[in-house]
Amino acid sequence: MESPQFSCKLGVLSRPDASVIFCEGETVVMAGIYGPIEVKMQKMLIDKASVECNYRPKRGLPGVEDKLYESLIRNICDTALVTSLYPRSAILIALQEMHNSGQLISCAINAACLVCLESGIDMKFMFGAVTCFLTNQEELRLMPPISDSAVKASFVFVLDNVKERILASHTEGSFSMEQYEEAQDLSRKQIKNVFAFFKKTLNSGKEM
Amino acid sequence: MAKQYKSLHPVKYYRDYLSHNIRPDGREFDEFRPTLLNVGTIDTADGSAISKLGRTTVVCGIKAEFCKPKAETPNKGFIVPNLELSPLCSPKFRPGPPSDQAQVLTQLIADIIENSHCIDLKDLCIFPDRLAWCLFVDFVCLDFDGAVVDACILALMGALQTLCLPSVDYDPALDNKLVNLEKRISVPVHSTPISTTFTIFDDKIILVDPTVDEENLCSGILTIVLRGDEICSLHKPGGSPLTDEDLSSCIEKCKQRATSIKDLIKTVVKDYNNK
Repeated sequence: MESPQFSCKLGVLSRPDASVIFCEGETVVMAGIYGPIEVKMQKMLIDKASVECNYRPKRGLPGVEDKLYESLIRNICDTALVTSLYPRSAILIALQEMHNSGQLISCAINAACLVCLESGIDMKFMFGAVTCFLTNQEELRLMPPISDSAVKASFVFVLDNVKERILASHTEGSFSMEQYEEAQDLSRKQIKNVFAFFKKTLNSGKEM
Repeated sequence: MAKQYKSLHPVKYYRDYLSHNIRPDGREFDEFRPTLLNVGTIDTADGSAISKLGRTTVVCGIKAEFCKPKAETPNKGFIVPNLELSPLCSPKFRPGPPSDQAQVLTQLIADIIENSHCIDLKDLCIFPDRLAWCLFVDFVCLDFDGAVVDACILALMGALQTLCLPSVDYDPALDNKLVNLEKRISVPVHSTPISTTFTIFDDKIILVDPTVDEENLCSGILTIVLRGDEICSLHKPGGSPLTDEDLSSCIEKCKQRATSIKDLIKTVVKDYNNK
């Protein structure tokens, strides 16, 4: 089955502690991380670091939909990072959409994972995301169809690399239980490529 | 003593109860709170309902206004949901612009409405490219005690079932509209999405229909929305990972819940129509 190609470049920005530009298929997201940094009084947690996520769309101000992505990515990073090592501090993840051709959420999550890995903040596990599309012909695929109207449903799965359990799931459109399970199996196969890409990137230095 | 213990060591307090296979409010792990639905509660709205899940209370009102359809979808109207989490419902919320949580929940509800196709937007069109209905679906949370999405979706279904729009005679040549407030027509509801929320406690225990304490202390939340046999949203916003078996058992529980909730809605709406 055809699957999206990954490419990325690390350390593209000078000010963040780590930054990455990540491409999944045609979708591109830029991510930066600051942390652990000083935390605002009202957000301070005494036993762990407070994780914040800031997501910017390609144009205009962040809307209600972007807030949903933001909270999703924040929750995932909060689980994956060992926040108890950095009490009374903040970890700020900034994401900027560059181009969207369907897999925006999974691309943003993958960029967030790479930038966390690159920053050297301790993590419990790696996480990766896969988007699956269910076309109107009830066919599952990893590549986004050319037009939006050809998509019956889309699934985003976020899995960890230890036991490949589901960290987060987000779906659009309606589908049957069997289709959900099929999509899950498909994403389990594809997630191996994602993690392999992460490892290759980090082992080989700066550029892929 | 138990009260002090609860506020000093909330997690330990919960663990002690859960190790005896019971929750602090006396429920089993897979037991739902008493569910209430009342439809047609607000006379000034075009459709309305109040739902209660235990202490969680949500009021839903639908107001319809005229608008011009978008040029790219000339034969479709609009549905605009909005959830208000006022300072009244929980000390977590302050007055002012909607909090992040309110925005996230609003978007989740908007996604559920869109994915479930419960209202065909084409039914809201009065005259293509000229006039359509815009339904403002406002939710006000009166008591924020967990599983708010479930309560919102239940209230939404009640409100949509009782939604009656005035009939409109539109004259496209003169751009003249004549609204007949006496003659009201209901909007067809094509499906009944039912939402069920689960929390994962300590990475392994799964509790259905959580209270706000359980939501705050838990390590993960999962919301499943079913429409008949199909799933129209499976939203797990991070938190501790879940195995496939747990997920399937959650969906199974959700299916049972959906049947009883559907019966509830049916009975309530029938009673209302007979009045």
